[in-house]
Amino acid sequence: MLTLVKQETFKLLKKKSTPIISILLTIFIFGVAIISKMNPKIFGAKDLFVGGFGATFFIVMIMVASASTIVAMESQFGTIKDLLYRKYSRGAVLSSKWLTVFIYSIYLNVLVIVASIVAKVIFLPDLSFAEKVGNQMIIGALTTSLAGNFVNLWLIISLVLLLASAFNSSGASIAAGIGFYFLTSILSGIQILVITKWDWVKWNPLNMMNLSNQLSAGKTFEALTHLTTNQLIWGNLGYTAVFLFLGYLVFKRKNV
Amino acid sequence: MKEMLTINNLTKSFGKKTVLKGIDFKISEGEIVGLVGANGAGKTTIMKSILGLASYQAGEITIDGKMVSTTSHQALEEVGALIEYPGIYPFLSGYDHLKLFSENNTKEELDEIVADLHMTDYINRKAKSYSLGMKQKLGIALALLNRPRLIILDEPMNGLDPQATRDVRELVLKLSKKGTSFLISSHILGELEKIVDHFIILNKGKIIQAMSVEELNAGHSHYVMLTTTDNEKAKEVLTAAKYELQVDRSVKIKMSENADLANIIQVLYDNKIQINDVRHQENDMEESLLNLLDQKDGGKA
Repeated sequence: MLTLVKQETFKLLKKKSTPIISILLTIFIFGVAIISKMNPKIFGAKDLFVGGFGATFFIVMIMVASASTIVAMESQFGTIKDLLYRKYSRGAVLSSKWLTVFIYSIYLNVLVIVASIVAKVIFLPDLSFAEKVGNQMIIGALTTSLAGNFVNLWLIISLVLLLASAFNSSGASIAAGIGFYFLTSILSGIQILVITKWDWVKWNPLNMMNLSNQLSAGKTFEALTHLTTNQLIWGNLGYTAVFLFLGYLVFKRKNV
Repeated sequence: MKEMLTINNLTKSFGKKTVLKGIDFKISEGEIVGLVGANGAGKTTIMKSILGLASYQAGEITIDGKMVSTTSHQALEEVGALIEYPGIYPFLSGYDHLKLFSENNTKEELDEIVADLHMTDYINRKAKSYSLGMKQKLGIALALLNRPRLIILDEPMNGLDPQATRDVRELVLKLSKKGTSFLISSHILGELEKIVDHFIILNKGKIIQAMSVEELNAGHSHYVMLTTTDNEKAKEVLTAAKYELQVDRSVKIKMSENADLANIIQVLYDNKIQINDVRHQENDMEESLLNLLDQKDGGKA
């Protein structure tokens, strides 16, 4: 398994886009911090810092593309046979890809935390680390926000990995992943109404995407999702596990 | 010699269509076996089954005594393969590919593979710039990684120029002498003839003949082709004299122990037919094989 993860990491690191993405993400965070410094009344430094200067949206987009590509490229480039005829089982091959995506998602979140702290220190020295959001200090709030986004992110990634296993090109899974992400915002109003009428609808995967909002807004958001934060976390993890398992079944039966 | 690959009664269907019908064969250590047959005969399906890429309904495949199936891959640790076409990551260089899939080769061994296949000039270039032949050679190089004891090559000469074809041929023979077994499919029989020990001839999912190169060559025929002053009359008189004639514009006589050129000339002379030209023709291995397929097909091409 370690060999397979090393191989996947090697491929990921050899792509030109990988270092470029890290650089662009850092530049974006610094850019937003500079804009906040120039327009402190419009772009509140504290809120921006706690939200990772808006980089979480890009993490979702980057990870959707990466997760889709890491699986679908093997069929696209005809390398799937070279991976699957070796001594490793299909489960091990797929798991190594999941693990690589997981490591990459952790890396990007850590990068956002580090870049946000550096941006705050350089460009927003007036914002004190001792400042609080609710009862948390700003670094704690940033970490909580990213953690919520991370759990939501993996729900999307698991769906993308499932679709990438089923299709031989990455386009369909990328579109579905991005579509799923935006659908949450588009349908949020309707969803609230539907959940009020039929309580069981609260368990649908789109409602699970409200985890990060609920972590920030606290109890007030519970009235909309009809789920406790713990229920949302377990719901997210449950859907992630189901999508990954379905992806495994599809990959296991894939014709090469 | 020790058996490296054993296939017993391999049977596979796609829906109602049976594509492999009780395939049996063995490959010993250091042996090179050529898998020959028309398109759709089942060559690639057999190779994919050996590599655990395709499931099968009945039969057994073992590599060095260990069973192989889609869920049992341990035996494939000692197998290298190039199936259908080489899978290439365009964003990696040729050498990156070798590093990626090599688990226990030293740098010297990788360099030796590169040198043997004459890839040194472009091995560090991104693979997206490779020609078909370069990709094919890289695919073959990947099959040689990790010191495999069995190598499966599906149409390895595809897209290769004459020099590269010779490089591959020499490499296969060199590794075979060191004990590596090969299963190679190719449409270019002349190329296979130069390297294989045995042929397995497939037709519509069945092995119709397994034979050595010498045995297949024994099916060669020798013909004498005459141009005479009256070809039609010559055909009549020679047929009447019990010679075996082939359909041809000239007078094409299959030579055998009983067919002596001096006697043929005498028959024609007796019938006042003059010979203007005499040519000899050998049918090659390809023709022998096509004849064999034709016979097994009940005379239908």
